[in-house]
Amino acid sequence: MDILMPQLGETVTEGTVTNWYKQIGDAVRADEALFDVETDKVATEIPCPVSGVLAEVLVQAGQTVKVGTRLAVVSTASDANASPAAAPEAARASAREAAHTATPSVAEHPERGAQAFAHSRAHEQDAAARADARAVAQSTDARPDRERKLSPVVRRLLAEHGLDATAIRGSGRDGRVTRDDVQAHLARQEALGVMEATANARSAVPQVTSPLPPGEGPGVREAGAKPGERVVALNNIRRRSGAAMARAWQVVPHVLQAVEADYSRIEQARRAKQAAWQAREGFELTYLPFLAFAVCQALTRYDQLNARLDADTLIVSRRVHLGIAVDLNHDGLIVPVIRDAQDRNVAALAREIRRLALSARSSKLKPDELSQPTYTISNSGVFGTLITAPIVNPPQVAILSTDGVSKRPVVVESPEGDSIAARPVGVLAQTFDHRAVDGAYSAAFLKELKRIVETRAWIEDIV
Amino acid sequence: MAELTYREAVAAGIAQEMARDERVVFLGEDIGAAGGVFKATVGLFERFGPRRVRDTPISEQAIIGAAMGAAMTGLRPIAEIMFSDFFGVCWDMIANEIAKTRYMTNGQISLPLVIRTANGAGSRFGAQHSQSVENWAMAIPGLKVVAPSTPADVKALIAAAVRDPDPVIVFEHKSLYAVKGEVPDGETVDTLGSAKVLHPGKDCTIAALALMVPRALEAAARLQSEHGISCEVIDLRSLVPLDTRTLLASVEKTARLYTVEENPRLCGWGAEIASIVAEEGFWNLDAPICRITTPHIPLPAADRLEDATIPSVDRIVETVRRTMD
Repeated sequence: MDILMPQLGETVTEGTVTNWYKQIGDAVRADEALFDVETDKVATEIPCPVSGVLAEVLVQAGQTVKVGTRLAVVSTASDANASPAAAPEAARASAREAAHTATPSVAEHPERGAQAFAHSRAHEQDAAARADARAVAQSTDARPDRERKLSPVVRRLLAEHGLDATAIRGSGRDGRVTRDDVQAHLARQEALGVMEATANARSAVPQVTSPLPPGEGPGVREAGAKPGERVVALNNIRRRSGAAMARAWQVVPHVLQAVEADYSRIEQARRAKQAAWQAREGFELTYLPFLAFAVCQALTRYDQLNARLDADTLIVSRRVHLGIAVDLNHDGLIVPVIRDAQDRNVAALAREIRRLALSARSSKLKPDELSQPTYTISNSGVFGTLITAPIVNPPQVAILSTDGVSKRPVVVESPEGDSIAARPVGVLAQTFDHRAVDGAYSAAFLKELKRIVETRAWIEDIV
Repeated sequence: MAELTYREAVAAGIAQEMARDERVVFLGEDIGAAGGVFKATVGLFERFGPRRVRDTPISEQAIIGAAMGAAMTGLRPIAEIMFSDFFGVCWDMIANEIAKTRYMTNGQISLPLVIRTANGAGSRFGAQHSQSVENWAMAIPGLKVVAPSTPADVKALIAAAVRDPDPVIVFEHKSLYAVKGEVPDGETVDTLGSAKVLHPGKDCTIAALALMVPRALEAAARLQSEHGISCEVIDLRSLVPLDTRTLLASVEKTARLYTVEENPRLCGWGAEIASIVAEEGFWNLDAPICRITTPHIPLPAADRLEDATIPSVDRIVETVRRTMD
């Protein structure tokens, strides 16, 4: 069976294979992770559709190919019956694999262990243990760079090219990655047309590329950095979303409008239901699912904001596919999509938002969870922001920022007279594409949104 | 182009400079009619006469002191110290007087003099006549230090030393005197402080000096043919000034550095080079810098012991092979 480059989202035309979990000859079960793909939207794990043996790899890790390209062939039991050649091929491949991992450094140079560690008796005693360890060591070492023996030049090259040593097969002693290994790796990448090494989009922190403490070190610094500076390589997601944002900023006439909303009723519902919710669901009930629900409600009345601009027409969607911007631990932004959000209640939205955020942060989003939303919420509220002016992501025509909620003095009107009360208040800010709608329409939407937030009996939405 | 021995090239270099400049005079023990104990000055006495080629008493201090005075009064003397080990009795004059005169007179008096000497092991002369003491000279501010490895270099570097306005120590190597090599015809003058890449390579850099240069070249050939290791061999030629640009550029290319030194290990010239490369070329290194040296011991006279002491081709090959992973 042919394995093809999947369509990871409607607008995605190509993907980069970043890792194969299996090597030729390996058995693979259906739904077992087969390879990783990185696109401009996401890095994700692709499961194998069938059980069988990986017979051919046609696209090596690092290569970028069009959607639909044949990546590999998995021979299944029925294939083997149909083609007698498949099984011996797999067997040969297994033999190659076995030979490859049998640590050539020990097999070919038995004297090394003795000579390298014969300085002292203690070292000699270690030597046997080390040799044993080497015999089972993988040739690609998965330890973090800091714990590995990397020479200065290797550290510099890794930093300059934004590479991760764990991705490079080491040919030196004990599997050490040598300079030649890095250069060979770079040459392969260049040959594949990947001119810029892609930083690992999955790492939890930005790839700080300087091996030097900031502002220190001798004469040699990485390109572009002055003394006291360090270079942070932009990962794939940030580079591509950055380019998209720049395009949007140039093309879309942005208008920002904001309303202040009283969250008292949502807060009341949260307070009343939080303990039971936490006990039942295992996570905190935040403001966001309430707002998502309110947005869906408001969009059903003001549906021209739930639309896409296509040349001279506005194509209005009957369904709300709600994008929720998720921060990848400050290492990029991704927008998973709640399909048919208009059909979900607050609890369902809460569970879906939670699930998508977790999937996004562990790169487990599926392609349809990354398809184009019809409207997007960007939630900076957890950081206590006052107001955020988000950038519209075309062809969508609007985006809402939900900012921090805090207690503020609010004038409360009642038949007995006005009074000042402490109420949880937050700003809801919408940026819209002025080519699609006008300020009055957007303002009406915001007014409706504010009305729903402030007046709905939210407490009845949570069981 | 003529094929000369290293010793003939020494004499040719001195003769070239004496013929060019009447102020160049030459003094030392048995350098005249005897032609030098290593026969490196044959013919000079006959050609330039006893006034300019002077045999001296067996007093190294006298030789150095006379050279210093001659330089102070306008001549450009070349002094020979028969064995570099004998610098031991000369250091007050060389280190405290000659090396510091320009500085202490605020530039009023410079000393354009050359001290030639036979350096190094291989002749079974024992602990007092076999040492490599280039690192002694290198340690003194105010001295330039060269140590040529080929006939062509020794001629042209002696010429450069004579023309230099300040004191230069030229270490000739006893075991190289009989080595033959092509020497360009006519007047040749080299540049002090320029190293030469004698054999280009990509896997490691071997920096060598004097007798260690031909050994490094032979080792490089064997490492290439027997182990597929491509070595870049650099003949430093001059320790002061030191051609760090060539050295650092090579390490940038190969990412590994070996020094092959005949001087004893402690504070040998390779330690200074390792220090420079560690400081200025650190981010180009793919392995620790490795020094291949004579151990820190007095040199034995016994042939087998002496051979075991000085870095050999086998030792260079084995050390590089073992550490290239």
